[in-house]
Amino acid sequence: MADTLAAVPAVPATGTPAGTVPAGTATGTPAGTPAVSPRGDVPTADDRATNFFRVAAGVRSSALPRLSLLLRRTAALALLAGLWETLPRLGVVDRVFAPPLSEVLVAWYDLLVGGQLVEHFQASLIRSLSGFALAIALTIPLGLAIGWYRPVADFLSPVLELFRNTSAVALLPVFILIFGLGEPSKIIFVFYACSWPILLNTISGVRTVEPLLVKSARSMGLSPFRLFQKVILPAAVPTIFTGVRLAGAYSILTLLFAEMVGAKAGLGYLIQDAQFSFRIPDMYAGIITISVLGLLFNLLLVTVERRFSTWRTTS
Amino acid sequence: MTVTQTQTQTQTRNRTRIRTENPAQDRPERQAKIVIRDVGKVFRIRGTDRPFIAVDGIDLDVRDGEFLTLVGPSGCGKSTLLDLIAGLTAPTTGEILIDGEAVTGPGLDRGIVFQQYALFPWRTALANIEFGLEAKAVPRKERRERARHYLDLVGLTGFEHRYPHELSGGMRQRVAIARSLAFDPDVLLMDEPFAALDAQTRESLQEELLRIWEKTNKTIVFITHGIDEAVYLGQRVAVMTSRPGRIKRVIDIAFESREGDLRADPRFGAYRHEIWTLLRDEVAAAQEQERTIG
Repeated sequence: MADTLAAVPAVPATGTPAGTVPAGTATGTPAGTPAVSPRGDVPTADDRATNFFRVAAGVRSSALPRLSLLLRRTAALALLAGLWETLPRLGVVDRVFAPPLSEVLVAWYDLLVGGQLVEHFQASLIRSLSGFALAIALTIPLGLAIGWYRPVADFLSPVLELFRNTSAVALLPVFILIFGLGEPSKIIFVFYACSWPILLNTISGVRTVEPLLVKSARSMGLSPFRLFQKVILPAAVPTIFTGVRLAGAYSILTLLFAEMVGAKAGLGYLIQDAQFSFRIPDMYAGIITISVLGLLFNLLLVTVERRFSTWRTTS
Repeated sequence: MTVTQTQTQTQTRNRTRIRTENPAQDRPERQAKIVIRDVGKVFRIRGTDRPFIAVDGIDLDVRDGEFLTLVGPSGCGKSTLLDLIAGLTAPTTGEILIDGEAVTGPGLDRGIVFQQYALFPWRTALANIEFGLEAKAVPRKERRERARHYLDLVGLTGFEHRYPHELSGGMRQRVAIARSLAFDPDVLLMDEPFAALDAQTRESLQEELLRIWEKTNKTIVFITHGIDEAVYLGQRVAVMTSRPGRIKRVIDIAFESREGDLRADPRFGAYRHEIWTLLRDEVAAAQEQERTIG
């Protein structure tokens, strides 16, 4: 580090005359800039490597670019909120059907305080999560079996192909007939819709494992079971997770539909009921809630995904 | 030049004849680590009934503790031969013996190093080296220790917890070599391990491989495209013909030691030229083949 400090004034890249720079600011220069190793000789492979890691770790970051990024990212949202607020007030759109955002937020707050929002939210969340969890628990093993064992794939593929092209929505009446109007039919419905992205990604995850890795593991005399456990499964995890994330989004989207068709609680019911009884701000409050729920759910899954695949090249 | 060539040729021939005629009391025969006898491999071209002869009638002995390099035109079946020794595929004809026993499948008595490293990207350097030890059911603690030892051996101390994508190509190949050494195989099979590296890294890894070889007494079969590399590393260089691959000639590289700048030795140039001459016709034949097939 001492070499680094000494090297700074010699390079007047900052525009300030050399020498006037106080020692304190020199410490603030981003690490990893000088190409000279601490010993002052030609960088060795190891020096180069550590330097590379330091830069790759993203040490160089300043507050100003971050702020501008934040502005760029939120500008469109702010614009949307602004339009939603002003257009109804100016009479450009009918404020009966599209009340200003502030009125919707007030309605949302009233629903929250009144306890209805929590009740509907909870009902929806339980259904979504149950279907989603069921899909993960049953479909990943099935996908692994199909991806790994050719006979299983040959046996199940035609049936799966048929069902894959049958919309969940088309099957909802069937689910209701079989499981009644209560919770089971909705959970099964969500489960069905969530299964496909998980299943297809699991199969492709298993099938697209780098053949060289399999060869390398086989050369070390691994049994088929160990090969599956130690190579195929970890290699397939990122692809499987892509499917899980898609399924997370589906679980909320499809549930909403089920709740609109027949339910006495849930955010889908809230939205539908509010529209029927002409409580328009309530309807929008429900819609906003569901959007935010979807957003948070995806964020959660992305975080979990990151934890599971730290080894992936992130560039 | 021609004198050296014919000499080596007769020497090789003599040795082979002695071995086949008098196997019982022949010393080299007993010492051979790997014996490849009349090995051929035929694949079926996908979607047709046409056979594809990858290698044919290969006879080759590798002595215990020997460093043998294998050169040949591209597509001559070098990698197929290595797969056969590794036990990843079975020969169509002939047999391969290791310590007198026929190869029936892959095993931890042989380790392979691939050109593309084949490291497990979800495992750190240390965990990659431990992989073979897990397959060998070595206890966890000993696994750790051994993995560290081999990481030191390839000069990567301090990089234990790096993932492959955080390492340079040369470092990755060092990890791959350490992984193959860690479960202590007798034979190291290397399939163009340094071909994807830059010249400088390649040279330093070549030196290091020689150092490791001298230290560990492994039997090494090393496939390469580079004639220089073959002469520099090998005690013997086996030259293969174009497809179907056969052993065209085995050349003894008679350097007493590999200290100093071997490449500047006039004999280095002579060996190099000899192999180049042997390969030239085969490369031409291989190119002709590719043209007629394509």
